[in-house]
Formats: sequence, C-alpha cells, structure tokens
Amino acid sequence: MAIDEKYLELINADIDGDIRPEEKAELEAFLAENAEGRALSEGFQSLCSTLDAEDLLEPPTHLKHVVMNSLPKTASRTKTPGNLLSIFSIPALRYAAVFATGVITTFVVVDSGQLQQGAFNDVTGLVGTMSEYGDAAPGVASLRFNKAAIAGTVTLRRADPILIIDFDVSTNGPIDIVASYEDKTVWFNGFAQLESTGTSISADGNHIRIQVDGKRRYAVYLHNSGSRNLSIKLQFFANGEPVHQAMLEYEQP
Amino acid sequence: MNEPDDTTLMEQCINGNRQAFETLLVRYEKPVYNAAYRMLHSRDDARDVTQTVFLKVYENLDHYDPKYRFFSWIYRIALNESINVLKKTNRMEPLDTDAVSQTRGPEQQATSEQLSEGVQMALMAINSDYRAIVILKHFLGCSYSEISEILDVPEKTVKSRLYTARQLLREQLERNGTH
Repeated sequence: MAIDEKYLELINADIDGDIRPEEKAELEAFLAENAEGRALSEGFQSLCSTLDAEDLLEPPTHLKHVVMNSLPKTASRTKTPGNLLSIFSIPALRYAAVFATGVITTFVVVDSGQLQQGAFNDVTGLVGTMSEYGDAAPGVASLRFNKAAIAGTVTLRRADPILIIDFDVSTNGPIDIVASYEDKTVWFNGFAQLESTGTSISADGNHIRIQVDGKRRYAVYLHNSGSRNLSIKLQFFANGEPVHQAMLEYEQP
Repeated sequence: MNEPDDTTLMEQCINGNRQAFETLLVRYEKPVYNAAYRMLHSRDDARDVTQTVFLKVYENLDHYDPKYRFFSWIYRIALNESINVLKKTNRMEPLDTDAVSQTRGPEQQATSEQLSEGVQMALMAINSDYRAIVILKHFLGCSYSEISEILDVPEKTVKSRLYTARQLLREQLERNGTH
C-alpha cells in the first residue's frame, strides 16, 4: 500500500528537524499504526545518517597555491583579462596551449653541434621554430609530488625521436630543477614555456637546469634518436638545498 | 581574533586585496572541491573545477551581488562548472550501476570504504539535479532556504526534490547491496 504523500513529507521534514509540534504528533500517530510507514521512516533515517557521516575529502595541498598563482595580476574591476588569458585559465586547455604558446613566447632550439661545442647558459633569448607535437605526444611516465616548497607533476612524453619532459609545477619561491641523464647520445633539443616571464634555463652536457618561481608550465625537449631507454634524474633545490629528488624512466616500447 | 566575515572579505577583494581572497580560498576550497568531487566522481576533475571556480570568482568580483551570501554564489558556480564538465564529457546521463550491483549481494556486509563507494555510485546513478540537492543538504550542510538561494528555486521545490532524491538513493543503495 502506497504511503500518503503527506506522511512522506512529514517523515522527511522530521529527519531535517523542520517539523512543527502538531505535525510531529500527527506523524507519530501515523507511524504507531503503520508498519510500512515505520519501515520507510527508518530507511530514510538510516540513509540520511549514512550521508551525513560521509567524510569530506581533503583537496590537494598544492591547490590553494596553484589557484593563487593562477590569478590575474589585477581583478576584473581594473582590467578584464584578454581572450588569451581567459583561454589559458581553463585547466583542460593548458596542456594543449603549452606547445602553441611556446611558439608565441619563447622557444629554444639547440642543435647537437651547439651542445658538443660546450656548455652554454641562459638560452632563453634564443628563438627558433617549433615542431607541432600537440597531444600526439603520449605520456610514458609521470611523477606527482607535493612538497612544501614545490608541488605538481612532471610527465615524460614521447614523440619519436623527441622525448618531452613536461613540467607543471607550482612553487613557494625560486626553485632550481636539475634534470640529468647519463646517455651521451641524447641531446637537449629545445624548450617551450607557457608564460614568458621569469624564465631561466641552462644546459651543460647532460644536465639541464631550470629556475622556476610560482606556477609554471615548461616543456623540455630531448632528442633521443635511437629511442633508447633513458633514466632522467630530477633534483629540486631551494636556496641551494635539495628539497626533492625523483627519477623518470623511459623504456622503449 | 575573529576572522572577518565573507562580506567584509569580498569588499576587501573588490578593493584589490589578494590576501582577503586567499582567506576566502582557504575557507571555501574544501567544500567547493567536495561538491565538485561528489558531482563528478573524479578527483582530477574536482581539482580542475575548484581552480576554475576560484578564478571565475576573482575575475567576476564586480558582478557579485551582495544581496546574496557569498557561499551561495560560489556553490552555484561550483555546481554549474561541474555540470559543464558532465556535459562536455557526455556524462549527463545517470550512471548505470547494474554492474556494481552484480558484484555484491545484499547479504554482504559493506565495509566503511565499500559503503562510501556505494554511496558515491548511488549518487552518480541519479539525475544531476537531484545529486546537487543531496550534496548541498548532506555534504555541505545547507538549509532548505540556503539551497533555495543557491539553486534559485522555491523552497517547496527544494523539499520535493530532496525527498525524491532520497527515495532514489535508497533504491539505488538497495540495488547495489550497500544499504
């Protein structure tokens, strides 16, 4: 037998503490005589207790930092962000934007000859053309870290013969990231970034050093002509002190 | 010392005080993230939605109408952004939980973790309008009148939807043997 809609409402109102005394008395009288109503009431109470007992999840600890670093320099009342900024503020588009924006802002192309001639520093002034890898570069390894000084992800992507180290990080202050590897046949082959300010990168042999401050998205390109297995050691330093270390492993498919 | 209320913080934000915005962020990051997670059942999507919500709030400070409470504004943005993600990813249709229901019989005692997962699966199996109202009531602790303000529907509609949502959830939980 279906329960009158009125009593369904009273059962729910009672659970939510939104019931008047006379309604409460009416509900109690109904439940005293109706087993189906009692079962329904107990079912709803049990459900609501279960829902209310569910713990809230903790957001990622770096999220606050990421949000604060993503804010436009000025709020809307003084300046409306341009279309480009609006587009880049959509997280899902950020990765796709990295490569395209790299062309617009800064992109460094280094051929093997330059590297073989010796070390060079602060290559951010070099600008060249860029191959379009886009989302065709699948992730083959990924690291996620969450330290007080730096948080975010580093993803290794493959677009033969190029390996792309995709940094999406947020820091509390200046952090030096050193990527190093042993294989001498693998060359530092380029660099792209989402933002054009505050960049410092240097490459010396098989060591690449990037200075990061705030929320940053960088792509470092390595030329791996033989698609050889590669171990890339990542070290993170704050004020010269190591704060994190991890390995990215590439295994040929 | 008492922290300033939302209205005071919003006024400070509008005057360019980023520290005030950070205080609001700390205050609402968790409920916004949880609202998005419950709507989407994905931590990654919830993280992205939370980020987008706060950016939108910051970019639209001038459009904030002080006759509404700040939380009702930000919760509304959070739910709308979550629904946008559902639409973009073609996940508007309630999830078919038959596969889940076949994995566990009603006679089995659900552990706390299974219960929590069962609750979330049941939530995903109901229409997003009903899901939103359950989230606001049971996870964010909003009253009928607050939900009415957030969703911009009469209180009577809030109650009606909530009761229906609970009934649907009960049926889902019984089907998957969680409750």
